[in-house]
Amino acid sequence: MKTQRLRVDWPSCQARGLCYELLPEVIELDDWGFPVVTGEVTPELVSAARSAVQGCPRMALRLVK
Amino acid sequence: MTARVLGPIGVDVERGPALLSAIDAGPSLAAHRSRHGEPGRPQLTPLLADLERVGLRGRGGAGFPFGRKLEATAEASGRPYVVVNLSEGEPASCKDAALALTAPHLVLDGAVVAARVLGSREVHLVVPGTDLQVRAAIETALRERPDERIGFVVHRADEAFVAGQATAVIELMAGRPNKPVTSWQPAAVRGHRGRPTLLSNGETFAQLAILVLHGVDAYLAHGTPEEPGTALLTIHDDLGRRVVEVPFGTKWEAVLAQDGVDRPVLLGGYHGTWADAGELRDLTVSRAGLGAVDLTLGAGVVLVPDGCPLTFATSITSYLAGESAGRCGPCRNGLPELARALERVTSGIAGLAETERLCGLVERRGACAHPDGTARMVRSVLTRFHGEVERHARGGCSYRRDRIGRSA
Ligand code: SF4
Ligand code: SF4
Repeated sequence: MKTQRLRVDWPSCQARGLCYELLPEVIELDDWGFPVVTGEVTPELVSAARSAVQGCPRMALRLVK
Repeated sequence: MTARVLGPIGVDVERGPALLSAIDAGPSLAAHRSRHGEPGRPQLTPLLADLERVGLRGRGGAGFPFGRKLEATAEASGRPYVVVNLSEGEPASCKDAALALTAPHLVLDGAVVAARVLGSREVHLVVPGTDLQVRAAIETALRERPDERIGFVVHRADEAFVAGQATAVIELMAGRPNKPVTSWQPAAVRGHRGRPTLLSNGETFAQLAILVLHGVDAYLAHGTPEEPGTALLTIHDDLGRRVVEVPFGTKWEAVLAQDGVDRPVLLGGYHGTWADAGELRDLTVSRAGLGAVDLTLGAGVVLVPDGCPLTFATSITSYLAGESAGRCGPCRNGLPELARALERVTSGIAGLAETERLCGLVERRGACAHPDGTARMVRSVLTRFHGEVERHARGGCSYRRDRIGRSA
């Protein structure tokens, strides 16, 4: 399985930070609480990443190939 | 020989070798046809080969190969739209306005050729909302054209730096606010109304028209073997504001006002990169040549400020921070902080590391290229004028304070 990437729909993201709670492995928060994607989503992280995507209250996260 | 184009942006347009070769005769269809003739009806495959041969790249700044974009649009499913973006969000850029006023039929020929090749029935033209001259020039030109079985729709863009970004234009066409949104697929694949959309700026379509009207050999007659053809530049220097058409490979010395090459030059506009004083002496108008030394031609804006490059870059950064569409957190929060950090560097209060950190924090973190472009310009001024940064940190400045200009 290929590694996937997380992309943020920036106009939708409102810095709720839930993604960071659900996927600290590849998400940090910046000075203002917006996510910083720090790495690729490796196969082991895919299910956690899916939870983050589904958990984002603004539907601002997507997993892309 | 120059033609004076008056407008909110008074700008001199000089006659050039190809795109601007017929401007003395005025913008009429008759004058255009007598100089350039009628475009044929090229087929997709040979046209793609010709585009590949001349290496035509988009002239909006990113420089994406135009043939690849055309091919992607043709291959995507659905009847495509053609969009000519004449909106030029960057206030320092006037080349598409100049084209609209002096050679509108060249732009329209390019759009019609593209529409025919793609089987499009509609061509959309996006004009700056506040520049009534450009809109009037395009509408006058459209009335002159015979029935081409193509519908033309004119849209007026907002007066905002990011209003010309591709996704902002597609939003405008859909009747939504003229602001960028996240794009999950290129417009060529999924653009206006979800259909493939060939979106490029005015100059790109004019270049396409020149290629089709005069053929590959004529196109190759200008420029260099590696970079054939010409480019439109909007130059702001001691000679004033002007739009010129120069063949690739032209020495900068021949393009800029006398001592321009010996002063710091901002190439590529507000999102561009800085050349050190004298650096352009050994360089030519060439994407590749400039790219090799981390310079960019962008959409062809050339600014030669009269004064300190750090101070000039700082005021541009504040302006760009204000032009954030405010939709994306990192851009909305980060650009004003970046502007303040650079202000501290310029005032000699330090903050260099913080400025660089903030550049990294906004890059690739917005729906459009605005944060990236802003960070590029800031990084470039800090790198190119490192000595000047240190001088400012000691309370100095090599450029006399009273000469600080606001040339843009
Ligand atoms: S959970 Fe969604 S809205 Fe919240 S910070 Fe993450 S991406 Fe943004
Ligand atoms: S990155 Fe900045 S300018 Fe671009 S859409 Fe987002 S907020 Fe607007």
